[in-house]
Amino acid sequence: MTKSQKSKIAIPLIIFMLFFAIPVFAAEIYFDTKTQEIKVNQLFEVVIFINTDEESINAVEGKIVFPEKLLKLKEIRDGNSIINFWIERPRAKNGEILFSGIIPGGYMDKKGLIFSIIFQAIQEGRGSIEIRDIKALLNDGKGTKADTTISNSQFAISGQEPASRPAVFEKKDIDMPETFEPTVASDPAIFDGKYFLVFATQDKASGIDFYEAKESRQGLFSIFKSWMPVESPFVLNDQELRSFIFVKAIDKAGNERIAVVEPRYPIKWYYEAWWIWIIIILAIIFTLIFIKRNLWNKIIH
Amino acid sequence: MNTKRILLVCIGFILVFFSALKASADSVNITASVNSVCGNGILENGEQCDGTAFGGASCVSQGFSGGTLSCAASCTFNTSQCTSAPPPSGGGGGGGGGGYVAPVTSAIFNGRAYPKSTVTLLKDAQIAATTIAGADANFQISVSGLSGGNYIFSVYSEDSKGNRSSLLTFPVSVTSGATTKVSGIFIAPTITVDKSEVKRGDDIAIFGQSVPNSEITISVNSDEEFFNKIKADAGGVYLYNFDTSPLEIAQHFTKSKTALNGEISSFSKTISFAVGTKNVAKVTQEFLKGDLNNDGRVNLVDFSIVAYWYKRPSPPASADLNGDGKTDLVDFSIMAFYWTG
Repeated sequence: MTKSQKSKIAIPLIIFMLFFAIPVFAAEIYFDTKTQEIKVNQLFEVVIFINTDEESINAVEGKIVFPEKLLKLKEIRDGNSIINFWIERPRAKNGEILFSGIIPGGYMDKKGLIFSIIFQAIQEGRGSIEIRDIKALLNDGKGTKADTTISNSQFAISGQEPASRPAVFEKKDIDMPETFEPTVASDPAIFDGKYFLVFATQDKASGIDFYEAKESRQGLFSIFKSWMPVESPFVLNDQELRSFIFVKAIDKAGNERIAVVEPRYPIKWYYEAWWIWIIIILAIIFTLIFIKRNLWNKIIH
Repeated sequence: MNTKRILLVCIGFILVFFSALKASADSVNITASVNSVCGNGILENGEQCDGTAFGGASCVSQGFSGGTLSCAASCTFNTSQCTSAPPPSGGGGGGGGGGYVAPVTSAIFNGRAYPKSTVTLLKDAQIAATTIAGADANFQISVSGLSGGNYIFSVYSEDSKGNRSSLLTFPVSVTSGATTKVSGIFIAPTITVDKSEVKRGDDIAIFGQSVPNSEITISVNSDEEFFNKIKADAGGVYLYNFDTSPLEIAQHFTKSKTALNGEISSFSKTISFAVGTKNVAKVTQEFLKGDLNNDGRVNLVDFSIVAYWYKRPSPPASADLNGDGKTDLVDFSIMAFYWTG
C-alpha cells in the first residue's frame, strides 16, 4: 500500500472517528499530585479526589496501596470530606487503606475531596501510591456501577530533609465539632431488638477523632461516671431508657462537643435517688435522738 | 436553751429539706407530663413544638431578633438558626467599650418549592432546618453555627398530598466568618400517577405540585419518549391525562420538570406504571425504600442498621435492599437515593 493510499484511508477514518466517536463518561478518582520529589524524613500530604464527570455518584469504595518500606503513614484526614457517612472509615493495615462511604442525594462535581493522607518518607527510593478496587455507584436508586478511571501518584525520595525545616501540615483548629443530636432507636434486625444509640457529627478543620459516651440515671451525679469510648451504633446499658445519655465528640485537635439525650422515661425521685433516702433517714434519726434526750431530761428533772 | 437551739436547727433542716424535695418533685413533673406523641406533627401537652407545629412561636418570641426556629427530634425548640441583633458598639462618654463579637459563619438558601409546603434542609445528610414556603412557593432557610469548609447541602419539599420531591443536593464551600448565600434553588415537582397498571388505550392521570402558574413538562419514557406540556394552576397543582394508546404493553416510566421565567428545575422522581390489559388503582400509601424501621424517614438510624449487616452473612431482607442475598455498597447506594434525613 502506497503512502497516498494509506492517507486516503486514514483521513476519512480520522474524520469519521472525530464526528461519530461516542464520548465515554467515567468518574475519575485521582490524587492532587501525579508526581513529586521528596526528601527522607519529609512529611507530605496526598489528597484523594473524585471527578464525577456529569454523573451523580452516591457511594464510593476502594483502597489505597502504598509501599511501607518507603513511606510511614502519619495521619488520615477526613474532616472536609464529601463523604457524609463512612461505612468503613479509612484505616491503614499492611500498607493498604480501605474505605467506603456514601453521599446521600449524590455528588456531582469535578473536585470532591474523599480524604487525605499524611506520609513521612523513610528511605530513598522510587515508588507509587496506587488506587485499587474502586467502585463508584450512581445515584439512580438501583446502585448502578459507574465507569471509573484512576490516576496514581508517583514519587521519588532522595537526599535528607533539613532538620530546621518545619512541619508544614499543622492546621490550627480551635473550633468544637459541630452540634449533633444522638438518636435512640431499636430494630429487631440488630442487637436482638435492644435499644441502641446512633450519632454522627462533623469537624471541618481537623476531623472527628473519636467518640465517648456515658449513661447516668442521675443527671447531676453523672460527673462521677467515667467516659467510655464508643462507636455508632452502640447498645445502651440502660434498656429501660431511664438514663441521661452523654455523647462526647472529640476532634483531632482535642476540641470537644457534648450532646445530651434526656431519658425517655425519667425516674421518679423517690424510686432511685438513694442519696435522698439517706438524708431523710439521717434527719429522722437525729430528730428521734433529740426528742428522746429532751424527754429523758424532762422526766429526770 | 441549747436543746431548743438544736430542736430549731433540726426542724429547720427538715423543713428546708422537704421544701427542696417538693421543688425537685415539681421539676420532675414537668418532664413526667410528657406523655404526648413526639413526631406526630401535632402540638400536645409537654411539647414545645412537633414537626412544623410551633404553636405560634418564633425566634423573636424566644428572645432572638430573627432567623428560623426549627423543631428538634425531641420536640423542643432548636434555636441554633435564630439570630441576635448585633450588640451596640462600645465607646461613648463613660468609657464603656464594645467587646469582640466572633463573626458568625452561616448560610442562607433561597428558592422555589410548592405553595405552603414544608421545605427541609439537610446539612451533610442530617436535618438542619425546616421552613414553610410562602403562597408563591418561595422559601428562605438560614443555618448558622457552621465552620469554614465543604458542606453537602440538600433540600426537598413535601406537597399538599404528602408526596416528597426528589432530593436536590449541592456542594457548598462555606467561608469562615461570612454568610454564604445560595439562591435560585428550584425544587423539582412532585409526581404520582393514579394507576399502577393501565389498560392500553385508557388514560393514566399524571399529577403533582410545583410553582403556581409554571409550565410543567411531563416525560413518558418508552422506546419512544413522549413529551407533554401543561400549566400548573394558581395552587401549583398540575394534572395531565395521558392517552396510553401509543405505548406498548410493558413497564413505562414518567417524570416531570418545571419552567418559570427562564428558570428550569431538575427532573422529578421517576414513577413507574405498567401498560397492560386491565386498570389497577395505585396504592396511595407507598413503602419508602430504605426506611428499615418504618418511621417514614430514611436517615442515620436506617444507615446504622444496614451498616451492622455490611459484609455479614445472611442479612435480613430489610437490610438487603436489592435482594441479592448480601449487604454491600449497592444497598447503601439505594438507601442514599431515598434519603430523607
